[in-house]
Amino acid sequence: MLKFILRRLGISALILWLASVLMYWLTVNSGDPLKDLRESNAENREQLMQQRSDILELHLSWQERYWNWLTGVAGCFRGECDLGTSINGSDVLNLTSQAAGSTLRLVTLATLLAILVGVALGILTAIRQYSGFDYAVTFLAFLFFSLPVFWAAVLLKEYGAIRFNDWIAGGQAGPLAIVLIAALIALVLAALLGGSPQRRLVTGAATFAFVGLVMFGLNVLDWYRSPFFGLGMVLLASLGAGALTTALVTGFGNRRVLYAAATTAAVGTVAYLVFIDILLDPSWPALLGLFVLAVAVSVAIGAAWGGYARKQAMLVSGITGVLTSLIIAFDILVAHWSGFLGLKSRPISTIGSQTPNFRGEFWESVLDKGAQLILPTLVLTLVSIASYSRYTRSSMLEVMNQDYVRTARSKGLSERAVITKHAFRNALIPITTIVAFDFAGLIGGAVITERVFGWKGMGALFLDALNRVDPAPVMAFFLVTGTAAVVMNMLADIAYAFLDPRIRR
Amino acid sequence: MKIRRAGAAIAAVATGALLFSACSSPAGNQDDDATPTETTTETAAPDTPCKADIGEVTTADGDVSYSVGEDEFLGYNSFTPETYSTYNSAVTERMQGAFWYFGVDGTICRDESFGTYEAVSEDPLQVQYTVADDAVWSDGTPITYADFLLDWATQAITKDGAVTEDASETPLFNHVSGLTLGDYVPEGPQADAAEAKTFQYDYERVYADWQIQISSPMPAHVVAQQIDVSVEELVQAIQDLDMSVLEPAAEFWNTGWISNPGELQDPALVPSSGPYTFKEDGWVSGQSITLTANEAYWGTPPATRELTIRFAAADTHVQALQNGDLDVIEPQPTVDTIAQLEQLGSAVTILTGQTLTWEHLDFNFGEGAVFADSLPAREAFAYCVPRQKIVDDLIKPIDEGAVVMNAREVFPFQTEKYDEIVAASYDGRYDEVDLDMAKQKFEEAGLEEGVRVRIGYSAPNPRRADEVAAIKASCDQVGFDIVDAGDPAFFDEALPNGDYEIALFAWAGSGQIASGQNIYATGQPQNYGQYSNETVDQAWDALASTTDETVHLEQTKIIEKELWDTLFGIPVFAHPGVVAHAADLQNVRDTAAQSGAVWNSEQWARAS
Repeated sequence: MLKFILRRLGISALILWLASVLMYWLTVNSGDPLKDLRESNAENREQLMQQRSDILELHLSWQERYWNWLTGVAGCFRGECDLGTSINGSDVLNLTSQAAGSTLRLVTLATLLAILVGVALGILTAIRQYSGFDYAVTFLAFLFFSLPVFWAAVLLKEYGAIRFNDWIAGGQAGPLAIVLIAALIALVLAALLGGSPQRRLVTGAATFAFVGLVMFGLNVLDWYRSPFFGLGMVLLASLGAGALTTALVTGFGNRRVLYAAATTAAVGTVAYLVFIDILLDPSWPALLGLFVLAVAVSVAIGAAWGGYARKQAMLVSGITGVLTSLIIAFDILVAHWSGFLGLKSRPISTIGSQTPNFRGEFWESVLDKGAQLILPTLVLTLVSIASYSRYTRSSMLEVMNQDYVRTARSKGLSERAVITKHAFRNALIPITTIVAFDFAGLIGGAVITERVFGWKGMGALFLDALNRVDPAPVMAFFLVTGTAAVVMNMLADIAYAFLDPRIRR
Repeated sequence: MKIRRAGAAIAAVATGALLFSACSSPAGNQDDDATPTETTTETAAPDTPCKADIGEVTTADGDVSYSVGEDEFLGYNSFTPETYSTYNSAVTERMQGAFWYFGVDGTICRDESFGTYEAVSEDPLQVQYTVADDAVWSDGTPITYADFLLDWATQAITKDGAVTEDASETPLFNHVSGLTLGDYVPEGPQADAAEAKTFQYDYERVYADWQIQISSPMPAHVVAQQIDVSVEELVQAIQDLDMSVLEPAAEFWNTGWISNPGELQDPALVPSSGPYTFKEDGWVSGQSITLTANEAYWGTPPATRELTIRFAAADTHVQALQNGDLDVIEPQPTVDTIAQLEQLGSAVTILTGQTLTWEHLDFNFGEGAVFADSLPAREAFAYCVPRQKIVDDLIKPIDEGAVVMNAREVFPFQTEKYDEIVAASYDGRYDEVDLDMAKQKFEEAGLEEGVRVRIGYSAPNPRRADEVAAIKASCDQVGFDIVDAGDPAFFDEALPNGDYEIALFAWAGSGQIASGQNIYATGQPQNYGQYSNETVDQAWDALASTTDETVHLEQTKIIEKELWDTLFGIPVFAHPGVVAHAADLQNVRDTAAQSGAVWNSEQWARAS
């Protein structure tokens, strides 16, 4: 195994090095860095050109400049990184760390969401193969997959930002909107729950009536402008989250686990009341501390209830604890929404990662930054959900037809156990690889999204530098994305080799 | 059964997430019947090219946002070649006062609140400047002779510690203008004391562009403090060329004002002499920088307290304006953006106009080139170039007021001067395409049918490709074989090597009077086509060596006439520019100068 890893490492390093040479050569030859000066009619044009030539070391051959860059990078191993200076004299290392930070902020959430939703959709469509739901998801997946990002982004800005902002100023859902949304939810839920046509009709009608009424109620309460969630809803949602987790991990048959989850949800809600002062005016370390405390307490509750199912109970109540924390955070954010609207009447901007000079308390600025994340995250997520759901679906279908799944069924295991324990785990192997590839790809692939939404990330760094034929930032971009790609691929390869001994040569 | 329920529940959660996003979007179609209404262009446009007098101003709380483009702010010192850009100047010019600024048509406007100046003698040229008595930096230090002496030093002293001889030495300070000022004013500004408000520049030889030679100074007291000397000692060191003081001063001047993105420097390091100054914590890297009213500013205060300059790509600006994220934008002037902006209706005001950048077709006079020694050949080409069609098809849809440009040193929007110069230099013979005349000249020149004419330009550039196509459609009928020689490396290779018959590109006007000498006089660096004409050379010499505006006008007429008669090249049009702003914002004015719409931002006020 060690030999395998070392060989992979060696190959990866070689690939990275060769790619860096190629990249440097391509960048240097991509245009004329003095172009704007040649068109200028400044009196000391020659001097300016000389000056820039000196900064970019244009008197050296590209091999020598590459060598200088490489030795600077090699300094990183000695703790004195030098990624060079950009065409306007900024330190590239500093630029890169800022850009990478902003890109990670953008990409992380999108990747997590895409994996979660994509994999869930994949499993569901596999279970309901050839149903209306399956066809609908397949259709949408292909639709989103083939969307040009810049176009989708412009559309999202039009509807998700500009028109949403116009609408929230009044904050009343029109009758037609209510009917359409209720019908849509009814349709989806009926298709999801399945059953005989008659049963679907009942499900659909009931859902339609319920959603319609709720939306009407929200209008009456002016909920969209001054929303509330409430302690009761927090408790209900936490209990629901606990039940869902239990159902997925052990099934309701295991009462101890179910009780552990329920206790966690209840304790979480009580803790919300206890820590309300800290929670309403927190700092990031305080929040993090509370979160860690919540998880620890949840796990302890699981251990106390556990008995023979101790491990499972700890897992389930741990997850319930995390979900309860998120629900509490959601409740606080909902409560701050109307205050946020007061500070910023058009809540979703089309550009930027935050509102300049935003004057709000902690939670309002979280809302501000969060609102700015919604649209770009949506674009990135929609595009990658497609591939995840398709891969999961096909991989699940393949596994579900395997002999060992039939064996598991025939020995009397519940369908839940068959799917989560036997089918899904094995179906995950190929997906792991794709996730690794994709994450590396997203860092570089967010170029367009960043630009359209005015985020200064790695994409902007790369584009600006390439437009100016400025090799240092381009190479820094390459270094980060290239290394990420190589490392992630290598991790995937290694994981793969661990999971499937057949490919280890 | 149980499993089915669990599965359904997961799906319900998942779809819930999707629906949440769904319910936020389609709802907005209630109050949205955006019928394209007529765009109201500024009705009461001020009749002066300089900043209009908007009367008594009290600063209103609030914020106006503007964006030049996605480029990050680089630092307080915009005078180094690395930081000198419209992006950086958009910020620093708001906090740097000066004796003058460019008006909307390129006129030099004086800012009397900063100070006054006059040429006390025309030949030899001596100019006396007086800074206003109440002019101070935002930290309270008066703006004085010391600041301007340092400004001169940064453009005069060489690395060897001497005053420049001919501006070709390596400078000590990394100033974007090099050593030109030192070349003209070797003695530097003269005054009685470091804290004097009045000082005088004695020019070694008469310089036509003396007015714009003296720009905004950087704070000498900050430099002095940073290198641990008093302002008097710094002044003395500059006068004595004392390198033990000047070297650390240059070191600080060159690098001390470069900031890491998002990190504003200590306010003591970056004082303002203009209406705005940095707002504390107002810079977020990659996002925006906010300026706030300079409390110590002695002139007319800004109409709105805060000005935010956001770093956003130009193609996002229209939607950002629509959503209120930006209040003033200068999008790419294309037909598409105009259509997009017009869709926004009455919420947005669109201003279109011409800029100081102009498109032209230049002949190659290099040895062996088709047009080099044959005036009839050049005339044949000039007769067949469809200039009016190019302007009608490509520019008018953007700016209705666009016209064919018939001069090189003045622009159509500088009406009075332009009309006078064109009337004296050009009889309108190439206004309309005249194929018969072109054919006649073609034969006269003895050109062979199908002679290859490469029109070179820097590709990709769709508009220029369209221009070449229009020229080809017309001139191929005469007998030319027009070749679209657009090339990404045009400026790099084709232009210096002379691999073209016609060069199609644009000059960005600098507002200088004598800068054209570089382009049209024999042997000058920007005379790419190697044009040489004695009359033109003499006229330029005469023009550059006087400050007399009537002489400037007369010589320009001679130059323009000669350039038309010998056909140096053919001017085509001035590039169009577009500014759009939220309709509730007042006093936004389009300008042809390169400072951009932000030039009078301190006058922007929101209608209440």
